[in-house]
Amino acid sequence: MVTDPGDRVVESYVETDNSVETRKAVSDGLLGIHNVTSNTFWQFAAFFGILFLLGVVGFVMRLSSGFDDKAAWGYYVAVFAFLMTTSSAAPMVAIAPRIANSHWRRPISRAAEIWTLAGCLNLILYIPLIWLLPSLENGRRSLWFYGQQEGVPAYSPHIWATLAIVGLVLLGLSLLWLSTLPDFAVLRDHGEGWKKKWGGKLALGWRGTSAQWNWQHHRMGVVGAFYFMMLVFVHFFISVEFLMVHVPGWIDSLYPITHAHNALQAGVATVMLTMFFLRQFGGYKDYIGLDQFWGLGKLLLALSLLWFWFWFSSFNVFWYGKKPSEQAVLELFVKGPYLYLFITIFILVFILPWFTMIWNPVRRSIWGPPILAASVLLGTLLDRIRLYVASWDVAGKNMVSQLEMKMSEVPTKIPAPEIADIFIMVGFIGGSILTFMLATRLIPAINLWEQKEMLLYKAEVQFHRTKVTIMGKSR
Amino acid sequence: MAKRSVLGLYSEEDSAADALDNLREAGFEEGEYEILTGVPYPEGTFGEAEPEHKLYRWPLIGAACGFTIALLITAGTELAYPLITGGKPILSIPAMAIIMYEGSMLGAIIFTVIGIIFESRLPRIFMGAYSEKITEGHIGVTVTTDETRTDVAETALNKAGTDGEIIRGWE
Repeated sequence: MVTDPGDRVVESYVETDNSVETRKAVSDGLLGIHNVTSNTFWQFAAFFGILFLLGVVGFVMRLSSGFDDKAAWGYYVAVFAFLMTTSSAAPMVAIAPRIANSHWRRPISRAAEIWTLAGCLNLILYIPLIWLLPSLENGRRSLWFYGQQEGVPAYSPHIWATLAIVGLVLLGLSLLWLSTLPDFAVLRDHGEGWKKKWGGKLALGWRGTSAQWNWQHHRMGVVGAFYFMMLVFVHFFISVEFLMVHVPGWIDSLYPITHAHNALQAGVATVMLTMFFLRQFGGYKDYIGLDQFWGLGKLLLALSLLWFWFWFSSFNVFWYGKKPSEQAVLELFVKGPYLYLFITIFILVFILPWFTMIWNPVRRSIWGPPILAASVLLGTLLDRIRLYVASWDVAGKNMVSQLEMKMSEVPTKIPAPEIADIFIMVGFIGGSILTFMLATRLIPAINLWEQKEMLLYKAEVQFHRTKVTIMGKSR
Repeated sequence: MAKRSVLGLYSEEDSAADALDNLREAGFEEGEYEILTGVPYPEGTFGEAEPEHKLYRWPLIGAACGFTIALLITAGTELAYPLITGGKPILSIPAMAIIMYEGSMLGAIIFTVIGIIFESRLPRIFMGAYSEKITEGHIGVTVTTDETRTDVAETALNKAGTDGEIIRGWE
């Protein structure tokens, strides 16, 4: 900057830093962090590995009791739904801001995308549910016009839900591979040991031609948009086929999208905590900063406010409607045995984020949003337990009618989790985290090429008496 | 005639753009030369032609196929077993919509994944002229042409001031 003795700017000032040296420094810096696997990492990995083994033990214990007792599988379905709500929704944090061309999400996009690998674990967890889910012959209310139109297979939910979940996992893997392709080329060229070897295999001869970049950019957009569409659709299926239809009288056209919204909220919370741990323990303190926590914190606040809107819209209809079956549904989920659980969830998922994140010092901080994200995740887990355990408890009983539940049929207490259920819950959540951690040993947790791309669009310029950072709009 | 490729590396964007100008002046056609970078530059940064964009064909065709199959399954089932339910028409959209939506999505997804594999032209078994410096931040201009013209290409690349020696490879 050139100034006269009075500190007045006399020449225009523009400073960018897009030299070969800077690009190399960014690449080397991130690769340097990526190549180090600390003892802390292995300690965490061992911890989650042991949890995962416990989960497998719990699963075998649960499996040995067979599929006849539907109520016994309530906690298993709850943890499956929780993982679909968190890990499968986390990639949306990469997809939506990327489509909107925002820059703050660059250091956290990859972490969000790596969660798609945990979707493979969700797919494995889903397999027993195919046997658990009763056929439509049990007379429950369904989407499939079974019994009203001939030719509808009794296993329609099994077929279509499976295809939808497989589709979502396939899209997730495609998205991750597309995003990581240029970074695999970096590993191929500059990696070490087995990472170099696998980088070479997975880069498939990527050279970085203009046509390849163009193809990758557009294809990520298409796959990302499809991922969002499929995510909503999968949540529609999970919430209908594995939840609502098992509670006679629970008719709520809004709930499937509520379930999808919960996933977006929990997905943001998952990425928030992920980036907190990457910053604190992963060595990425210089890359993940206030901008990321602030940006994601605003999203978390907005989605937490929406949580209330969705819940209240459904609650209002049941509360005012007051049909006997509607009162029974409210008794089951809100006023009866799950009352205190519901109050806890309400505080964790809505009240706490609302009353804390509205304050700038909390929202605009490194520590505030992750604490609230932990609150949201805990609340979401409890919410999934409340809904799925209650529903499968009802599914395991012989109801007088499959179309409406009587007040006298509402369970009076929460089924206590057995040791197998506790193993399953901690084990598969641990397994999901372990999958993420192991994936970061091959895939850089921060996107190398997007960090380097930002150098093209960033400049510091003089603006009257101050300097401001200008961020250009990328493609 | 055997094809050979040559690669010039540049540290400045303007030098790489000059190299493309030199190649055009030397009579090389679009398609004979390519820009290689470690980051996605905005299209046209180096004066290169914008890549032809036909990427939406795959999902659209897939969605159309999936929708058609789903329509045939649902409508075929309903027509094969024509039972009037609740006074609704035999071919009622609400009963068909879920499967038609999912059919469209699955068709689009499958075709998109196939398209990704097909369009990427990957795996590329032979890298041709390539340098690891590209993923470090250098900009590469590569020319793939007949063996007899590589000298002309090297001269054009050198004229723009390459950063280091010309790298040669084969296709």
